[in-house]
Amino acid sequence: MKLRTWQIWLATAALAGLSVIFAVPFMWMLSTSLKVDEKIQTEHLNLIPRATFIVHNGETLRVRPLQARGDMQEVQVYRDNRPAEKLMVRRTDLRDGFYLNTANYTEALRRAQFIAVTDRWPFVRGYLANTLIICVLTVTGTLLSCSLAAYGLACVEWRGRELLLWVMLSTMMLPGQVTMIPLFMTFRKLGWINTILPLVVPSFLGNAFFIFLLRQFYRSIPRDLIEAARIDGCGELGIWARIMLPLSRPALAVVALFTFIGSWNDFLRPLIYLMEESKYTMAIGLASFQGQYGGDWGQMMAMSLLMTVPIIVLFFFTQKTFIQGVKLAGIKG
Amino acid sequence: MTGTDRRTGLRGSFSNRWPVGVAFCLPLITGLLGLTAYPVLASLYYSMTDYPVFDRPVWIGLANYRELLSDPRVWISLWNTAYVAIFAVPLGMVAGLLLALLLNLKIRGMAFYRTMFFLPSIVPLIASCVLWGQILNAQKGLLNELLRLAGVPEPWIPGWLSSVFWAKPGLILMSLWGCGGGMVLYLAALQDVPQELYESAALDGAGAWRRLWHISLPMISPVLLFTGVMGLIGSVQYFEQAYVLTGGTGRPNDATLFYALNLFNTAFAEYRLGYASAMAWVMFVVILLATWGVMRLSSRYVYYHS
Repeated sequence: MKLRTWQIWLATAALAGLSVIFAVPFMWMLSTSLKVDEKIQTEHLNLIPRATFIVHNGETLRVRPLQARGDMQEVQVYRDNRPAEKLMVRRTDLRDGFYLNTANYTEALRRAQFIAVTDRWPFVRGYLANTLIICVLTVTGTLLSCSLAAYGLACVEWRGRELLLWVMLSTMMLPGQVTMIPLFMTFRKLGWINTILPLVVPSFLGNAFFIFLLRQFYRSIPRDLIEAARIDGCGELGIWARIMLPLSRPALAVVALFTFIGSWNDFLRPLIYLMEESKYTMAIGLASFQGQYGGDWGQMMAMSLLMTVPIIVLFFFTQKTFIQGVKLAGIKG
Repeated sequence: MTGTDRRTGLRGSFSNRWPVGVAFCLPLITGLLGLTAYPVLASLYYSMTDYPVFDRPVWIGLANYRELLSDPRVWISLWNTAYVAIFAVPLGMVAGLLLALLLNLKIRGMAFYRTMFFLPSIVPLIASCVLWGQILNAQKGLLNELLRLAGVPEPWIPGWLSSVFWAKPGLILMSLWGCGGGMVLYLAALQDVPQELYESAALDGAGAWRRLWHISLPMISPVLLFTGVMGLIGSVQYFEQAYVLTGGTGRPNDATLFYALNLFNTAFAEYRLGYASAMAWVMFVVILLATWGVMRLSSRYVYYHS
């Protein structure tokens, strides 16, 4: 089916227009994260971050307008992003100019304790560090437990494995809300509340969907390979480690990627299990920040961007695996 | 006794290998027992008890379920959830499908456009909630400022998250931004449709519309059904957006009190674990019924080619 020229133009115009619509929220997030608060409050539609300046004694100063008195305007002067002296100036002397307020980022980072400067190990504390620790442990646990179970289900013949597979798959129907409360009580009895254990330990006990995915992959690997290794005297653990793991690298990459993203974005479980702010992950840190400083759009957008950029970077570096995973799973982000 | 014929599955070859199989599946079996079987049974038991966190559960039979039937907030939250499921799921599917059809025209720059449509769907949910909290702000939000710029008179400007009427449409709008996840699936399915089908249909004089209706849609109908069912299950569990954007209160006036949010508040704010467990079981039944209903209704329209 050849498209006519006008049809191509029409489709291109539609695609370009839609791309802009999909991109606007991103641009808005970036732009707002670089704005000074008074401009966020007054210039609602401006995409270019700006601030107010005056020239005072030959020095250009960034100011924030306070109260107006007749022709005069009281302004707060900012030096190095910190409030300094206040001045009375003529209103006509105020000038608006391009200004990137990176203070939103430093402030968001500081408040979130991403970087505790006094620490000897600056990244050991804070939301980002907490999230990364949970992500790494969860990915490790999932890869380990799922590839082992997939091997047991796909490459070892034993009675009962069909039953186990069937039971495992049927648990996927169960919404997390059903098990949420008893699990919370169990973890409370174990004294695991306010630790990362309830978030990490379950990943070492398998994940039905990923096990199924890996099992399908393992079944596509020729049986002869495994039989030959067995005849050569290779143990089952050896076959798993030396044959199956290297051969299933593409499938493991999908599992690792989506476990990482799932863990990075996880909200409900950290919300239930982490009580102290020092234990918070990025997701609940951001949500509680929204609760406390709801009006400070600049800083919140800065924090949202800090949470989003790693995922987008990850997407661009692993595009093939990523799209493969989305298609395999229908997992949306 | 060792195995003789693997195809007939003789006892020997199977039974002496089960310790190996079980050993590999030990983490999985532990997980199924500890993280699923026990909690499911416990939850069923809790649902028939009065269980304030710091006290023992007291057996009350089906009283929780009876109370659920007459609890107005349960019905409100069910209605809100159904609203989102009824509108957001089909709209998201249609939007994703339209994008996929546009991309499938194989216009130059298709990879770029596909990335642009896909990226919003991978933004962490909490970050996109914060962003849309600004966009949907009634006074200073981007969307309303654009509407004002377009000349919409002030009384017609929607209040979005602060209005009982507009709160849910606002949340649906936000979910549409993420329709690129479904789009990728539809596009992949469209690209798998054999070209001969289109060519022979074109020879028979079928126009673009009929090719879409009689070839493309039936061929990708299993994927449509899959995303529909997953979207439905997801929307029954709709939680984060409402929790973040309304501070977990379901404001304004319970307009964003969704079922999962109501359940969470019952369990972790009111500490009524028994009642919340009963709510969870009702949710499970609703998911099963809805899935069954969709499968039933769609069975006549979904085409499986194999």
